Amino acid sequence: MQDLISSYKKNLLLSILLTFFVLLFLYGIFATNNYFTWFNFKTIIRDAALYGIMAIGLTFVTLSGNFFLLSIKETAAICCVSFAMGMSTGYGVESWVGSFPISLLVTLLIGCLAGAAQGLFIGLGGNPIVVTLGGAGILYGIATWWTDNLVISFRRPNDAEWLGTGSFLGLPTITWSFILIAILAEFVLRYTNFGRKVYLVGSNRAAGKATGHENLSMAIIVCTICSALCAFVAVAFAAQMSSAQANYFSAEFGSSGDMTILVIATVMVGGNSIMGGYGNTIRTSIGAIFIAMIDNMMVLNGLNSGPRIVGVGLMIVFSILVFALYAKGSRAQE
Amino acid sequence: MQNSFISKIKQKFISNPDLTFAFFLAITVYSYFGFSVEVFASHNLTFAILERFAVLGLIGLALTICIIAGEIDLSIGSNAALCAVIVVKLTDPIGAPLAIVIGLFISTGIGFIQGFFIAYLRVRAIVLTVGTLMLLRGISLVVAEEKTVMLTDFRVPDFITTKFFMYFSPASIMVIFVFILVGIFMRFTKYGREIYAIGGARKESLAAGVPIKRPMIIAFALSGFCAGFAGTVIGLKSGTAQGLGLQYLLLAGTVAAFVGGVSILGGKGGIIGAAVGALTVNFLNTGLLFYALQVHFVQLFTSVLLVVVIVFQTMSRIFDQYQSRKAFLESVDHRRENLLAKRDKFNLTNK
Repeated sequence: MQDLISSYKKNLLLSILLTFFVLLFLYGIFATNNYFTWFNFKTIIRDAALYGIMAIGLTFVTLSGNFFLLSIKETAAICCVSFAMGMSTGYGVESWVGSFPISLLVTLLIGCLAGAAQGLFIGLGGNPIVVTLGGAGILYGIATWWTDNLVISFRRPNDAEWLGTGSFLGLPTITWSFILIAILAEFVLRYTNFGRKVYLVGSNRAAGKATGHENLSMAIIVCTICSALCAFVAVAFAAQMSSAQANYFSAEFGSSGDMTILVIATVMVGGNSIMGGYGNTIRTSIGAIFIAMIDNMMVLNGLNSGPRIVGVGLMIVFSILVFALYAKGSRAQE
Repeated sequence: MQNSFISKIKQKFISNPDLTFAFFLAITVYSYFGFSVEVFASHNLTFAILERFAVLGLIGLALTICIIAGEIDLSIGSNAALCAVIVVKLTDPIGAPLAIVIGLFISTGIGFIQGFFIAYLRVRAIVLTVGTLMLLRGISLVVAEEKTVMLTDFRVPDFITTKFFMYFSPASIMVIFVFILVGIFMRFTKYGREIYAIGGARKESLAAGVPIKRPMIIAFALSGFCAGFAGTVIGLKSGTAQGLGLQYLLLAGTVAAFVGGVSILGGKGGIIGAAVGALTVNFLNTGLLFYALQVHFVQLFTSVLLVVVIVFQTMSRIFDQYQSRKAFLESVDHRRENLLAKRDKFNLTNK
């Protein structure tokens, strides 16, 4: 207990943030109807799972010191469209129509290719923000070109239903995948050779280079991981809706109206260092659940989209400022 | 006399490959559309291009200033949207001039505050501006009450799109004026040179006694001002504004800035480059209109332009590194040979 209090005093700013969050949660329990119920809890986790999985992918990129990708929702868009095309037309092959494994494989392949191409440019020395801004436009352009900007839908009894709307032991499949991916990613980051390399390259790129861990291969691998997870979420989302359109992820999504910024927000609110080398996927998962909780509370209180976006935006800016104050003077931000 | 002038210009182009590439791209795009589309070189189309330049040039200028300072401002689209909403909303009750002043004051203030936090907390700008991107978007939604704000009195839009001297409108004249002022500021004043200094070599400039806080705040305030001005022009020209609008400006502005030859490492590029870059993007956008393509294709081609420029810049950087490494190795070899020769001489004399 004594230790707890002393560490609380030592990390004053961090504890102010935590206290603030706990207070908000208590407010939600006592002042909002239908907030603290099992059904609502399931809704929250389900919301959190969709952008939580993408955020776990982005955590790899952030940890390796490559800031973040601005092409997340566009990667998801092209994968979503590709999956629906596979389910409805079979990419032109008659026997592939409605085949879940082939659609999934092709979609994951497209996601990996998109990620690897961007990672190549980033690794060669391009700025991640600028490269992915360009990549985003290209991916979105191809997605709309492919579908003529139409809604691609596939018939209801299909092989993909278990992923979209099925549930297991009372929790939706997507929630289970979120939990599994979070555990797997944490295991990879903490106990495998590759995971430690991610931390090394992220925290000190010069030292990484001197010991033979170039950013080129690292950037390609982490961008591929991130894009593959985006592809997975896109498949789950398309399976849930039984249809896909290129702007599913650009339209009003969650609270923010922009999937990419929401995912980046998730990584930041969790308290990962955006400069790389510090953080883990558990923080990201907590950030995702937290944002979903606050958003859910605001929806239950009947707020419009404007105040909700302001709320999430304030949360991001607040946590950035608090962590900047907290890290001031340390080497982490140089 | 003539000869020396030409050789001076030639020298300038050779010493600045990025600007040369910008001119090359601009001329290529313009001549491609000039030859393939009949009316592309007409007076009316030049007027239309300058009208678009009024918006995109300002966004490109704002991003150019930020990137010269070594940071990048992602919240520029949201800032412009907020200013557009405020100006359009206030024009009816209090009149256009006062509304413009209030709108510009607010966006400059936002830029100032961002610069303040970036300078004093030493956060990286991309980190903070991703947050403010969302925050400002929410605020402009709240200000617009989730609706499309509209003007009822269309005298102001009519005024700012009237034609002057065949090519110009009040909006584009104002924008060109802003360009010249900012260019003089960046080029010839102490404060402008400080922005270049902290972008190009931050540690060295700190060691040389350049304050890091003042130029950072000035750069972000300037870019906020430019973004707000662009929002004002868009809002007043169309007479409408939306809280969620104008998000495409970030991509277009980034392309304009990068075509104009700024380096993401900071300290490079200038106002002429920004103007050329914005014009290139405008040529592309306007030319694609004649092919009656969907909106996404414009985005696609703009992104392809960005990728081309990035590849060029990365390749030229790698080439530069290769050259300097080669020169370094050669000098090492040279010195080693000298030393060996000296040693031989020494041995000979000692024998």
